[in-house]
Amino acid sequence: MIGPYVEFARKAFAREATYRVEVFTNVGSVLLRVYLFRSLWTALYAQNAAPADIPLHAMITYATIALLMGLILEIDGTRAIRERIREGTIATDLMKPISLPLYFFSDGFGQTVFHALLIVPSVLLALLLVHIDVPSPATLALFALSFALGYLVNFFLNFLMNIVAFWTLETFALQLMVRWASDLLGGQILPLSFFPGVLGTIVGALPFASIYWTPLRIYIGQVAPAEIPGLLAVQMGWLVLFAGVSAVVWRLAERRVVVQGG
Amino acid sequence: MPIIETRDLRKVFRAVKRTPGALGALRTLFSREYVDRVAVEDVTMSLEPGELVGYIGPNGAGKSTTIKMLTGILVPTSGRVVVDGLVPYAERKKNARNIGVVFGQRSQLYWDLPLIESFELLRAIYAVPPERYRTNLREFTELLEMGDFLQTPVRQLSLGQRMRGDFAAAMLHDPRIIFLDEPTIGLDVVAKEAIRNFIIRVNAERGTTVILTTHDLADVERICPRIVLIDEGKIIYDGEVERIKSEYGTHRTLVVELCDGERDVHVSGATFESRVGNSVRMQFDRNEISADQLIRRVADSYCINDVTLQEPDLESIIKRIYREGYSDPDGAVPPPAEIAR
Repeated sequence: MIGPYVEFARKAFAREATYRVEVFTNVGSVLLRVYLFRSLWTALYAQNAAPADIPLHAMITYATIALLMGLILEIDGTRAIRERIREGTIATDLMKPISLPLYFFSDGFGQTVFHALLIVPSVLLALLLVHIDVPSPATLALFALSFALGYLVNFFLNFLMNIVAFWTLETFALQLMVRWASDLLGGQILPLSFFPGVLGTIVGALPFASIYWTPLRIYIGQVAPAEIPGLLAVQMGWLVLFAGVSAVVWRLAERRVVVQGG
Repeated sequence: MPIIETRDLRKVFRAVKRTPGALGALRTLFSREYVDRVAVEDVTMSLEPGELVGYIGPNGAGKSTTIKMLTGILVPTSGRVVVDGLVPYAERKKNARNIGVVFGQRSQLYWDLPLIESFELLRAIYAVPPERYRTNLREFTELLEMGDFLQTPVRQLSLGQRMRGDFAAAMLHDPRIIFLDEPTIGLDVVAKEAIRNFIIRVNAERGTTVILTTHDLADVERICPRIVLIDEGKIIYDGEVERIKSEYGTHRTLVVELCDGERDVHVSGATFESRVGNSVRMQFDRNEISADQLIRRVADSYCINDVTLQEPDLESIIKRIYREGYSDPDGAVPPPAEIAR
């Protein structure tokens, strides 16, 4: 019974597309940020702030790709859960013959696809504005796979944060903390090799690293091809763990509504 | 076989006990004292397929708690509930296929998309066969006069249009039962009437069972032959609207227009109520004096231009029952389920 979920994704896509002005300002702001990042890193590298294993052109590539990934990963389809709990409309959702986690996933996915398409002009213009490395098709394919895994880990992380609202109603503070943690510790702002020694090891072992750091390392060629399967396996491991926890917590949440009233 | 059946249905909510004051608020953060509140108490009722039932009660009487248990999103504390052969909370998704829900206060339509897109989404959710979907859509579009705004984004619809959209949305998958919660709230007279006609029509043509909760008793009077009255979680009346009217509505108002000036009218058997100009209102009890007798008595002593007789409407009856409680004029109150048959 995949039919409704495909439809949810399509509707989310259509819904996103209704806000046209936002779309265009978005592209503009992306280009501005790409340019700023290039200037920033060039200046920093001139001051010798660079880690040994990432040359400047790779760093600019990293920052640009991280930015574009962020446009997709920052979309949180599960935010609707929190809103619907607060408004009480979650009760009407539960009166439908559908799986709500899948519903929120498809909705978020539809939004993602829309924003992914939106990235295309940004990417093309970014290529004109700054020089970024484009790796071999094989590496690109591995990057795509790793990105997809990171996307799913990110989805479940968001999902877990948002269903906390079933207990607390308000999750904003938690949300903000996790967001910051995942941006910083996930490698969106900085490559994780900037973290020194033990700190670097710890940060690299956290689930956040699966979201930005792993795919980006693959993209900029910072890892040997032989290491890649291991990295993907780690991502897969986090994904399975997060999905499992999400399933359990969802069951509890659903039970909670159903036992105590929405 | 009843399509909806509950027996001794009960729901107790448990809430953290709150102590007043700033210190008390702090204390509730740490201590866990609970208070139990019985929202629905031993509700027993039974609905046959195709019935139109008004489920009436003041705010907080337990109406929506009951509806939530019937729709499967709330587990009863105790008691039995069966809806179309299913135990709703145990088989929520399966039950969801048999029911349709309309909330006057919240919409199930997609806010940003044209109305028609919400319908298409519902078609996918309920896997409505294409042929069936087309027929239903055509019929509802005509009945509810939605042709002009099918392509309009829902956020631009008027309340009346949106409600019509919500009704169609709830009926597209041919549910056997629909739950209507305040479906005419905030609507103008014309829109109300359109919605009422739609409910009646759908019930007559498709045999859909309808449970209507509302504070607008004109809806009930117009649509439902039977009402279930609930107060403080308990059913206090379950039976025909006509019956409650004849039992409780024994008070009539006689309005007399005098032809010879402006004065109050006093006759035995009726109580003077008010006078505006030469129009006098009197109350009497139908069981004590017939209207015919009363009019004769008035006519004996006064010159009458015109008389009108007013029956009490359901609203004034229900108001009185909320205030005084229900007691069966024939004696003891039989168990509500018995009255229903």
